[in-house]
Amino acid sequence: MTLTQEKTLAAQVRTDFPILQQQVNGKPLVYLDNAATSQKPLLVINTLKDYYEQYNSNVHRGVHTLSAKATDAYEAARDKIANFVKAASRQEIVYTRNASEAINLVAYSWGTSNLQKGDEIILSVMEHHSNLIPWQLLAQRTGALLKFVELTETEEFNLGQFQSMVSDRTKLVAVVHVSNTLGCINPIQEIIALAHQYGARVLVDACQSVPHMPINVQQMDCDWLVASGHKMCGPTGIGFLYGKLDLLRSMPPFLGGGEMIADVFLDHATYADLPHKFEAGTPAIAEAIALGAAVDYLTDIGMDKIYAYEAELTEYLFEQLQQIPEIRTYGPQPKVAGLGRAALAAFTASDVHPHDLSTILDQAGVAIRAGHHCTQPLHRYLVAQSTARASLSFYNTREEVDVFITALKEAIEFFGGIFG
Amino acid sequence: MTLSNVRDLYQQVILEHYKKPKHKGKTTPVHRYQKGHNPSCGDTIELTLRLNETGDTIEDVKFEGEGCAIAMASADLMADVLRGKQIDEALEMVQRFQSMMKGQAEFPKEQRKLNVMQGVAQFPVRIKCANLTWHTLKAALETASSASLEEFISNEKDD
Ligand SMILES: Cc1ncc(COP(=O)(O)O)c(C=O)c1O
Repeated sequence: MTLTQEKTLAAQVRTDFPILQQQVNGKPLVYLDNAATSQKPLLVINTLKDYYEQYNSNVHRGVHTLSAKATDAYEAARDKIANFVKAASRQEIVYTRNASEAINLVAYSWGTSNLQKGDEIILSVMEHHSNLIPWQLLAQRTGALLKFVELTETEEFNLGQFQSMVSDRTKLVAVVHVSNTLGCINPIQEIIALAHQYGARVLVDACQSVPHMPINVQQMDCDWLVASGHKMCGPTGIGFLYGKLDLLRSMPPFLGGGEMIADVFLDHATYADLPHKFEAGTPAIAEAIALGAAVDYLTDIGMDKIYAYEAELTEYLFEQLQQIPEIRTYGPQPKVAGLGRAALAAFTASDVHPHDLSTILDQAGVAIRAGHHCTQPLHRYLVAQSTARASLSFYNTREEVDVFITALKEAIEFFGGIFG
Repeated sequence: MTLSNVRDLYQQVILEHYKKPKHKGKTTPVHRYQKGHNPSCGDTIELTLRLNETGDTIEDVKFEGEGCAIAMASADLMADVLRGKQIDEALEMVQRFQSMMKGQAEFPKEQRKLNVMQGVAQFPVRIKCANLTWHTLKAALETASSASLEEFISNEKDD
């Protein structure tokens, strides 16, 4: 009997990503900056190309063949996204430029018309600036108050503190599902259930969860959920807002223009039904269609499989990092089999500044992020001026983790010498 | 690894200024004070200057801040060469340093120790690290007094 070696997920998909087949600074590229943006498979790249070569045309505006084809593809992509996050209706998916725009949409449309002085908005200290600034602006406009859930000892969302913070004054809870810095997976189901007990609405920033694990908005029972296409194998310039149908219906338009109207008179207008009410102007048509292709691609592999494989990588990554005494990682340690946290590690290496680390790793072909990762308040809370971050995806391999760890050790040695 | 490239950037002199800076702290008294930062990466610097009685010559420069080896070494090297310089001269040096980062200039022999920073020009993403201290100096010199300078000036706006 011969044993057939089962290929890892990365080995199976690797060739789908042309960008990964290159050398950087004379070394094979090891791309570990997936939390910033993911790479794109050929299917997505070809979808963009096909659109422009074969049926580029405006949507919802023409009766000619190309326009019909573009409109069909654009709306079919919406169906794919709706299925992907298990929305109850396709009308609950609104295209936006990215997650940031989706959050701003909710803050302006719902926030401005529903919040008053003294109302409370609960966020956490780990929020990305995108899920913080729109609420700061809203608080300035309305007089609402911002409250912040802090971290537990293991650097995770403090559910106990949230429990004592939420009250009848709470009108909104906006929280990240998976932190882009700590890598913790927040107890979103519990957060939502608690908030709903007090009649508060909940917005989930799912930028770092949608690309890496199965998402079910109905089971979660969130009121809104936002994500960016570019972090989930799709193009830049496209993201989406999921919102419960009745809630979206009750919200006034955000931007005005073509597409979002029903009847227009000189002094007033009636608006299109959902989701178009929130899609003013010619949208990012090619990008939306290509995001649909990205969703097809991920669905074909299976989000369960992606999550399981990334957990294996997480376990390996943390095992390796733990063997370097100078390394301090942030956020919780992975649980058994790498579960319980995202496949990313934000870290510092004693006296070596993250930028210096990143430059040296870049010379070894390894792309990581250095800085505050758009979570400045979190860094302040952790008393870290900046951190380095390696973030993995399902196309990364153990061998790449090895290359990263070797280069990291060399960098620490290079600088360690001078402090020694 | 290609540590040879890395050594072009992190020359021994740079590492020494980073490891053992000679000009950390605050001048007494403080005649000029300016904070600068690179918002996208979080590096910050706080420069203080002592001037002579007529206010046209730099007597002492000190810095505090947090940042990478390049940013901190650049500040320490700058403080080294600025002592005794006229304000006009210092402003010219700011320009020269910024040109050097584009690979278009170097310093004459009495200031040649600054030339160790030339390697940074080969690492475009790190140029702003080296420039931070000089950019902050420029703002410090162009503002007449040290009043109400609690604001950071950003090194990342297009000049
Ligand atoms: C957790 C989280 N929220 C929000 C964002 C913002 O995404 P975008 O810049 O695509 O709007 C990001 C990505 O940077 C993120 O990681």
